[in-house]
This record gives sequence, C-alpha cells and structure tokens, in this order.
Amino acid sequence: MSGRVHTKTIPPHERVSSFAPYVSNLDDRLAVYEASRCLMCFDAPCISACPAGINIPEFIYRIKTGNFYGAAKVIRESNILGGECGYVCPVERLCESKCVRRNLNEEPVAISMLQRFAYEKEKLKGLVKFPKSRSKNKKVAVVGAGPAGLSAAYELARMGYGVTVFDANPKPGGLLLYGILPWKAPWSVPESEIDLIKEYGINFVTNKKITDLKSLLKEYDAVFVGIGATKSQKLGIPGEDLNGVYPAQEFLQSVAKWLMGEGKAPDLKGKRVAVIGGGDTAIDAACASVRLGAERVYIVYRRSFAEMPAVPYGRNQAREEGVEFLLLTAPVRILGEKSVEAIECVKMELTEPDSSGRRGVKPIKGSEFRLDVNSVIVAIGQKPDEELLKSYGVKTEKGLIVVDENFSTSIKGIFAGGDAVNGGETVVEAVAEGKKAAAAIDKFLSGGKSPKK
Amino acid sequence: MVSKPDISVKFCNLELESPYLLSSAPPTCTGEMIMRAFEAGWAGAVTKTIKPDKTPVYDLKNRFGVMGFETKQMILFENIEEVSKRPVGTWVNEIKEIKRKFPEKALIGSIMAECKEEDWEELARVVSEAGVDMLELNFGCPHGMPERGMGAFIGQRTELIQKLTKAAKRGSSVPVMVKLTPNVTDIAFTAKAAEEAGADAISAINTVLGLIGINIDTFEPIPTVDGMSTFGGLSGPGVKPIGLRCVAQIAQATNIPVSGIGGITTWKDAVEYLLVGAGSVQVCTAVMWRGYRIISDFVDGLTNYLADKGFSSVQEIIGKTLPRLTAWSKLNKDYTVVASINKDLCIKCGLCYVACRDGGYQAIKFEQGKSAEVDEEKCDACSLCTHLCPVPGCITWKKVTK
Ligand SMILES: Cc1cc2nc3c(=O)[nH]c(=O)nc-3n(C[C@H](O)[C@H](O)[C@H](O)COP(=O)(O)OP(=O)(O)OC[C@H]3O[C@@H](n4cnc5c(N)ncnc54)[C@H](O)[C@@H]3O)c2cc1C
Ligand SMILES: Cc1cc2nc3c(=O)[nH]c(=O)nc-3n(C[C@H](O)[C@H](O)[C@H](O)COP(=O)(O)O)c2cc1C
Ligand code: SF4
Repeated sequence: MSGRVHTKTIPPHERVSSFAPYVSNLDDRLAVYEASRCLMCFDAPCISACPAGINIPEFIYRIKTGNFYGAAKVIRESNILGGECGYVCPVERLCESKCVRRNLNEEPVAISMLQRFAYEKEKLKGLVKFPKSRSKNKKVAVVGAGPAGLSAAYELARMGYGVTVFDANPKPGGLLLYGILPWKAPWSVPESEIDLIKEYGINFVTNKKITDLKSLLKEYDAVFVGIGATKSQKLGIPGEDLNGVYPAQEFLQSVAKWLMGEGKAPDLKGKRVAVIGGGDTAIDAACASVRLGAERVYIVYRRSFAEMPAVPYGRNQAREEGVEFLLLTAPVRILGEKSVEAIECVKMELTEPDSSGRRGVKPIKGSEFRLDVNSVIVAIGQKPDEELLKSYGVKTEKGLIVVDENFSTSIKGIFAGGDAVNGGETVVEAVAEGKKAAAAIDKFLSGGKSPKK
Repeated sequence: MVSKPDISVKFCNLELESPYLLSSAPPTCTGEMIMRAFEAGWAGAVTKTIKPDKTPVYDLKNRFGVMGFETKQMILFENIEEVSKRPVGTWVNEIKEIKRKFPEKALIGSIMAECKEEDWEELARVVSEAGVDMLELNFGCPHGMPERGMGAFIGQRTELIQKLTKAAKRGSSVPVMVKLTPNVTDIAFTAKAAEEAGADAISAINTVLGLIGINIDTFEPIPTVDGMSTFGGLSGPGVKPIGLRCVAQIAQATNIPVSGIGGITTWKDAVEYLLVGAGSVQVCTAVMWRGYRIISDFVDGLTNYLADKGFSSVQEIIGKTLPRLTAWSKLNKDYTVVASINKDLCIKCGLCYVACRDGGYQAIKFEQGKSAEVDEEKCDACSLCTHLCPVPGCITWKKVTK
C-alpha cells in the first residue's frame, strides 16, 4: 500500500496576485514513486474513461522503469495535445474516477500529474514526431484551429492529405489560448504542441473567418468544421444589457488577450462580482475576477453542490481563493441605472429527480433578496454562433451542428466535431472527435476502403 | 493477563537475555560501538573479525552497493569490505573493557587467519584469554580474503574447515562457533565437517557472492573503486530465503546449536529463523540501515507475538517448523485444491487474469468492471494468482475431492 503524492502548491493568498500556475510538477523521484502505485490493470478502466484512449498503464509503466521519453511517446500516439490535456483534463470525472486503486479505498493514481511529467521530459528532448504516410494528392480544409480542428488536421496530414486550417483568430489554438487561463496550463504547453503539429506540413491561415462552406468544398475534397461554441448563452432576464454585465466567454477571452498584451481586461479592482452558473467556466471566471482584484466574488448557482457540474478540484480552488457560493439561488433581474448596481435573487428548492435522475429546482415564493454587486458574469453555457451556422447551411438542433456516427454533417463532404457539435465538453473530447472525424474523412475520400479507427 | 513470555535463550554456554546478537560487521567495529549497542538493548555481539597483526588488510573506497525494487530503495546490500584492520592488542584491551562494563552481555570474538594451524591456534588463544564468552571462526567472507586463502576459501573446503577448527579449539579456552559461507553446493556437508571437528556451534550465513549492479551510464560495475570492481557479498532482506534454507539444512544435519543470520530485518524474520531451528540470531544490514535502536521493536515484537500465540517461552518455538520440511518426493501428491476468488473483495484489476493467461493455465475469466472468476476445471492450483492479487484474502483455496 502506498499513498498518492501531493506536490507543492502556492498558498491561495499568494497565488491570486498572478495568473501563473500554482501547482508544482513532480520531480523524477516522486514521479517514479507515483508510477509504481499503478497496478497495471488488465483492460484498464482508466483507458476506457479517457476519450483519447491513451494507454495509461503503459505510459505509467514506462515512467516507473525510467523510460520517460518512451512514456511521452505512448501519450502522443493517442493524443496530439497530450501535454495540454495533462494540465487541463478534468481527470476527476475521467480516467482518475475509474482508477482501480479507488476500489482499494485509496486515492487514484495521479494520472494527470504523471502525464504532465512525461510531457515536461519530452519537451527537453523535442516533442515526439511520427512518420507521415505518402502524399495522397487530396486536399482537406479545416475550419477552426481549436483542439478539434488541430487534432483532425494533424491526423489527416499524417495520413498524407494536404491540409489547410483556417481560423478567425490571429493565432491557432482556440480556447487553449483564448479561454483557458495560464494558471491551469501555461500557454507554452499548447504553443509547443501547435508548433509540433505545424511540422507535419499543414498550411495555417489565421485572421480568416470562414462564412461559406460550400465554396470551400469546390476547392477542397472535404471540410472539417471545428468552430467551437464561443457565444455565451443569455440569462433572458431584465437588465442584461446594463454596463458591467459580461458573457463569460467574452470576459475570459478579453482577460487572455490582455495577458498577451492586447487590449484591456474589465476593471474589477475593488468591485463586487457575481458569476452566474455552476460549471467549470463559472469557476474560471470567478477565479479570474479574484485575480483582477475584485473585492468580493460570488458564484450564484440554482442548484446545490451535489448537482454542480464543475469538478471538485475547481470548486476547491475557488473556495480557497475566497469565492463565496450562493447555492440554490437564481437571478430574477439585474438592477441599475446605466451600470449594474445589484441583482435581485430568489432562493430555490430542489424538486424530486426527473426521469433522467437529475433534480430540478423551483423558486421559493417570497424569498427574493437583493445582492449588491457592480458586475455580473454570465456563465450558463455556450453555443456556436447562430448566424454563422445559418450561413453554413448544415442541419442543426438546439443550436448545435448535427452529425452522424461518422461525424458527417447533413452536407456530403462536410464533417464536424468538438464544442460546435457536443455543446461544450473538454479539450480531450474535442481531440478525440477530431481524430475520429479524420478517420471518417479518410474513409470517405478513399472510397470506404480504409478501416474506421 | 497471562505473564509476559520469557524471551531469554540458552545458546551453548551463553545465557542470552534475548536471541538477538549483532553479527560480526561494521556495527561491531570498536568497543565503543559494541557498548553503545549493549546500552540500546542487544543481548550480545560478535566482534568485527579480528586477524593477526602480520596479515595486511585494506579498506577500499568505496565498498558498498544497493539494489532497490519499485518503491523500495534497498532490498539487497553488497559489500567488498575486508575484516578489521585494528591490531589484536587494541581488541584485547577493548574486549576487557566491554566485559568489565557489561558482564551480563554475550561477547563473541570473531577471528580469521591464513591457512596455518599455528596462526589460528595462537589467535584463538589470545582472543579467548582476553575474556570473550565464545569464538566465531570466520570461514565465510566471500570477497578479498579468499584470494589470499582465507574466509570462504576455507569454508568451501572440508579438510581446511576441520584442520583449522581443531587448531582453534586447541588454542581456545571458550566454546568455538564456526561461521559458514552459503557459497557452497551443500552447506549441510560443510556444517557436518565442522561438527565432526569439534565445533560447539555453527553460524550461518555469511554473505552471498554476487554482483549488485552496473551503472549503465558509465558502464562501471558497482561498487566502483576507481572505475573497477570485484564480486562482493550480498546481505539484507533479499538473502533471507537463502539464510533460512541454510539454517534449516544445518539444523536438520547436525546436533549442535545454530545461530541464524541473513536478512533479518524485523522480529518477524527472526521468528522465522527460530522456527527452522536457530537458537540465536544475528543482525548486521538492518542495523547498518536503521541503527542499534531497532532492537527495542525486535524485543517487543517477539514478546507480543509469543503472548498472542500463547507461548510462555521463546524456547517453545525453536525448531517448531523443522519437522514440516521434507523431501519433495515425500509431499502429498493427492492433495488437491483450486483457487477461489471472493467476488465481494475483488477490485476488478485483472492482474490475476493476466498472470494466469501468460504465466499459468488460462483458468481465469475476466471482463472489465466484473469480478474475476476461476474455471475450476482448468485451475492447476499453481498459486500464481494468489500472489499477484493486491487484496489480502481475496483469492483463497477451495478443497476438492477427487
Ligand atoms: C473558460 C473555459 C475554460 C475551460 N477549461 C477547460 C479545462 O480546464 N479543461 C478542458 O478539458 N476543457 C476546458 N474548456 C473546454 C475546452 O476549451 C473546449 O471544450 C475545447 O477548446 C473545444 O475545442 P474546439 O476545437 O471544439 O473549439 P474551440 O477551442 O472553441 O476552437 C474553435 C476555433 O474555431 C475558430 N473559429 C470559430 N468560428 C470560425 C470561423 N467562422 N472561421 C474560422 N475560424 C473560426 C475560433 O477562432 C477558435 O480558434 C474550457 C472552456 C472555457 C470556455
Ligand atoms: C559491510 C559488511 C561487512 C561484513 N564484514 C564481516 C566480517 O568482517 N566478518 C564476518 O564474519 N562477516 C561479515 N559480514 C557478514 C555479516 O556478518 C552477515 O553474515 C551478513 O551480512 C548477513 O546478515 P545480514 O543480512 O543481517 O546483513 C559483513 C557484512 C557486511 C554487510
Ligand atoms: S486504473 Fe489506476 S491502477 Fe489501474 S491501470 Fe489505470 S491508473 Fe493504473
């Protein structure tokens, strides 16, 4: 029996003065120790729980034997953004949630810490590059250079297709750069992996927003769409247009850009901020507000902790950093003249679980109260740009692109994956969908001959 | 409450407060060290091996190496150290001082000389007259000394064992114990030779000849002395099975007391040695790793164990397992069991499945998320799965009648 390692963490009051990472990585000795906690399960459930299907016990075994570069190779074989995922995957609900060590009443193997370790070792030698297949004389366009698009582009380039990636942003990376802030993963991580992807001879066209897919299809043999879901959903309550109300995605993007030296971040110094929502994005927006100097930060969530989609890790982070949780609380209207002055909230109560097992909520009459705040950040979910999808002409449902099991849209030759299809999941899910879509595109372009991955 | 079990033993002429002695090694290098060990609670000590002043001895820089496994930093120890460099006269003075200050503790003088009877006789006389309670003849050191006709060179030749045991007995005024090397084909054979020559007791084992490892970055063997090395003596937890086997063989083959040595790290290891017939035990590596202080748990652990098992004296367990060790051909070929997996305890790791599939009889069925299951028709009861299973008591034996 052996306990899980815990690395040094900068205490909350110190860490909030910067946006830098605050958890230190494993050193060689601790990594080998933690690796030896892996049982090397047969048909390991951690692998099934990884959307990218990384052979987790294999890479951990290689760390155990001191073959660190070999470990990195195993990860990169299955996940081209394996380094980034080592930093940002919500492992508490993925691989680590299924680790068999838990059945022994022990903490799971620290899979993500080991994955980071392997990546850091890999970086010292140069990221692992695999051979490319012979050129296929066929061209594929990829719209969107987020994890889904990057993954599809990489897979297709390796298969020998000529790949061009278009992105509306000045840099490829999608939310890896313009959403996930550096305390989770330093930007050098996705940047190094994007540099690696570029080495496969992919043509990147940035600052280019694609509004018409059908004309792309004239130039290319197939198109993959990975435009993400970057439009924050609205609350639909009075006062949402007041100054000081920010959609979470736009808010976090402006913080990211400000950190990169472009533009300004919202001025929250000394302000009182309410973040509406209970997901990982709400947590990130709250922790970013703390770092921007907000005096008090609230998370206002309709349900209770048990229903909160945010992983416990993030919830703990927010709590440690002084974020206050107002649970079973919903906003009714945002009050103010020109700018936000307060939110009128109402207390909620849980109802019996519905057929899907999730508990609903209903307001408690007469429980309305006023919460004095200067800013409101709305983090209740995101959708792809509706207008854009309309101009694309692909079939949609509830604002998301509809695909079949081959990631094919309603238009022949156009495939899609990532947040634009699943409504906002994880980096690793986007990578996995890009990978599967690439295999389907290959099958489509080679007349159904190549096997489905 | 039953009364506290008695852990004192009588070993030859020695009245030991417990079976625990320090073996001849670095922890017994000087009188000062031995006295500190006595203060910590050791029942006795064998001095680091004393040799005649005319025999040159060197200490190489450095002389130790270790082998680890997974999370264990060290499971085996290797040394290429020689015997004590100190003059006989110094030892004589220190032996006198130790015995004066600790008359109730057992002091055993370890000696070694070249293959000359008169040297052994003389050294035995001088050291025994200094006041030790017993002599131990080092016929076991496997490195350095054998190149010059000493240590294991002697322990590997029955005629030399007999000649030099007799010589030491002639010189000695106290009982003589012979310390044997495991680096022989049949230790029962060398033990019997020592008994026939008049040895009063046997101690075993000295270290096991080995090569602890190679530095794969520098290509240097370990331990590395200016880039080079030599084969050395292994000790520590990993040699316990060899020590246990040797002690059991000696106990079965001779009628004189055996002092058990080799990889004794905790009181549990000591109990195992006692069960196969050791009348006392000796410890070196464990003390080098954690200090004299471990004696308090050695004593307390043994006492509590005896009480839990309902024994009133440690003497009752000495040799208790010996009758259960027999020839392979005498084991019951009709005894049949099959492995049985407790569904409620199974953690669904599949380790037993892989082991049985690739190292056994393909007798285990497993599917992710479900408990493993034994196909009783195929199970050959080899036991591999029971050792791989991370959950104690999950895989047990089920008797089957043919
Ligand atoms: C604040 C925040 C924190 C998150 N934290 C985590 C986390 O810790 N762990 C985790 O696993 N996931 C996290 N996620 C989710 C994760 O970032 C996404 O699931 C993932 O990035 C989705 O990848 P994608 O490629 O589908 O979309 P995106 O990353 O959104 O990329 C879409 C890309 O398409 C481009 N694009 C859009 N429209 C066009 C167009 N018309 N023409 C050209 N280009 C276009 C965009 O510029 C963008 O680069 C977080 C998300 C947010 C918002
Ligand atoms: C560094 C070292 C030096 C040793 N020197 C001697 C010695 O001088 N004489 C001797 O009889 N045995 C010597 N031994 C052997 C030990 O007394 C003992 O027989 C052996 O190490 C096995 O016991 P252990 O596993 O408890 O260490 C030495 C062992 C070590 C590790
Ligand atoms: S489930 Fe846990 S113990 Fe089993 S292989 Fe995966 S990481 Fe290792």
